[in-house]
Amino acid sequence: MSRLTRSLALTLVLVLLAPMVAVPVAVAAEDVKIALVAPLSGRWARQGQLKKMGAEMAIEEINSQGGIKALGGAKIVLREADAGDSVEKAVSAAQRVLTREKISAGIGSWLSSFTLGVTEVAERLQVPWLTLSYADNITERGFKYTFQTSPVSSLQAEQALDLVVEIGKKNNRPLKKAALVGDNTAATVFFFKPLREKLLAAKGIELVADEVWTPPLADATSIVQKLRATQPDIVFYGATNFPDSVQMLQKLKEFNVKTIIQGVGAWLVTPEYVKAIGKENLDGIQTVVAAHPLKGQEALVKKFVERTGEPFMTQDPLCTYAHVWLIKEAAEQAKSADPKAIREALAKIDLTAGPAATTLYPGRIRFDERGRRVGAIPIIVQWQNGEPYTVVPTAVSTRPLASVK
Amino acid sequence: MVASELAQYVVTGLLVGGVYALMSIGLALIFGIMRVVNFAQGDFMMLGMYLTFYYAVALGIDPLLGALLSIPPFFVLGLLVHRAFLARVTGGGDPNREMDAQLILTLGLSLVITNATTMILSPMPRSINAPYASKAFAVGPLLLNQARTYSFATALLLAAAVYVFLTRTDLGKALRAAADDPEAAGYQGINVRTMHGVAFGIGIALVAAAGGLLASYHPIEPNVAVNFIVLMFVAVVLGGLGSIPGAFVGGIVIGLVQSLTLLLLPLQLQNVGVFVAFLIVLYVRPQGLFGRRARTV
Repeated sequence: MSRLTRSLALTLVLVLLAPMVAVPVAVAAEDVKIALVAPLSGRWARQGQLKKMGAEMAIEEINSQGGIKALGGAKIVLREADAGDSVEKAVSAAQRVLTREKISAGIGSWLSSFTLGVTEVAERLQVPWLTLSYADNITERGFKYTFQTSPVSSLQAEQALDLVVEIGKKNNRPLKKAALVGDNTAATVFFFKPLREKLLAAKGIELVADEVWTPPLADATSIVQKLRATQPDIVFYGATNFPDSVQMLQKLKEFNVKTIIQGVGAWLVTPEYVKAIGKENLDGIQTVVAAHPLKGQEALVKKFVERTGEPFMTQDPLCTYAHVWLIKEAAEQAKSADPKAIREALAKIDLTAGPAATTLYPGRIRFDERGRRVGAIPIIVQWQNGEPYTVVPTAVSTRPLASVK
Repeated sequence: MVASELAQYVVTGLLVGGVYALMSIGLALIFGIMRVVNFAQGDFMMLGMYLTFYYAVALGIDPLLGALLSIPPFFVLGLLVHRAFLARVTGGGDPNREMDAQLILTLGLSLVITNATTMILSPMPRSINAPYASKAFAVGPLLLNQARTYSFATALLLAAAVYVFLTRTDLGKALRAAADDPEAAGYQGINVRTMHGVAFGIGIALVAAAGGLLASYHPIEPNVAVNFIVLMFVAVVLGGLGSIPGAFVGGIVIGLVQSLTLLLLPLQLQNVGVFVAFLIVLYVRPQGLFGRRARTV
């Protein structure tokens, strides 16, 4: 046997033996286990970390308030699995976490492309799955166990476009030319598709640049050159990978391209942007998200900030916080920790009070037969002086929308 | 296509390629002298980015200087890693001994470094935000990003220094002797094992310096290596396995091809251009642009 064969054989044996010798964490029998499959390593690890913070905060609140009352005060425990940086890794993480022990419900997996894969596993294993991912096709496959709490990408595109067109008219700067700039991850693809195919044309807006890449982006110069040459009034922007986005925003400044930046997703409002781009360069950049702290949620945000040391709260921890509370409510209504019973409860749920309902605008949670949250409305967030504020809907905004200079 | 626009693509490609070139030299040096395929090279680059970041944050050192200041600690780190791990699996330069374990070792090192950094420093991206990262020199109609221009110039200087070191100094000649014929080098009183340690130290120090330069305009996160490691390998093979000038030219070519591909293909296919160019070169010249049939540095 050659050395290579021996080394490979040894590695294989170790890999196969590792799960057998892993020490299981002891939990009380009645605990309700929730799986969180999110990227905890790789290029989207930061988002997974933020999701985990939200889930842990909700779990601590629920458990300290006596757990799930209908189940005799059962505690909730989190089983996290790393979705890594590829769909294959995400799927295998879901498979691992859902088959190792009985999981009552799952949450994840941030990137729509991951969620598409992970929900297939959850559907097959009949575990209800809550997701904040935006892509339309997540709930277009006839799945019974997938529940999407965010407004889908195409709806976000429609509403974001309506809004920016209206603002343009109000400010006497009507939008005539638009550009689509972003990567080819699922949520961005579904946001751009209706804009490209019909919505922009229907508003009489010309599409002057359409630049899509596979992350990572080697260099943003060519894109920004096109933007400089075509001078769009607005750029619909979907660079989910942080280094790509930083490159783009730095280049826009370098080439002195002035335009409205309308992002899609909460990746554009993470705290590290302030350090990377500088708050003066972020001012006015806006993005459409599924959730963001609203007027009246100051206490929740304060608690999160104190607990985590993060400067502010954004969609990712907020949604996961709501998802854990939602699973708790479903378990209360089902009076069971059985995943099928929880799925039934989620399908019938109509929540108008409690932390889950108040966190997700407009304050009511119920799902249609596809698993989409009825009445989910996108929130527009805008960077102002180094912090992202909810600016639309105005009824719950924390700051008025500032016009872009 | 306006000439100035074409020139902008060329200039951008050159500037991007400059840092690829410096990254690749370290890898080529390690392969050329030790015959080690170092999968962890990108991770040492990431550590170099972090060190430059901490130099900037804690001591207020400019990242360009920080990149140079990462060379000594990473040289020592390279020596230590070689002594602790690699020396056991590299066969002491004896071409007759099999060295398959080094592949698994460097791959394992890469995984350990990435994940340990994620655990210790968290996955949160950090940035130096050097003032020149989003400024440009205007040369006629061309815009040259300042951070990339400085990085390119520093990379060029470092590459030249390595070349002079290898061709003009006794230690450099000893390194090359150890690469060309370890047995004969041993007879001449050259300690091949020490030479391997020195080569690994220099290789790691160079890629850490490249990381430091990159950190002046690129965010730093534990998994940043995956964006660059494949390009480094392509540059090294394109230039001719183990050839230092080859790796340098390979890096520049990749930057140029990435940029010029956009004239013909959509943005999504940017890296396709690189791999097509790579296949063409290997088809026409299987030993790479600067490679000899016999392995050398």
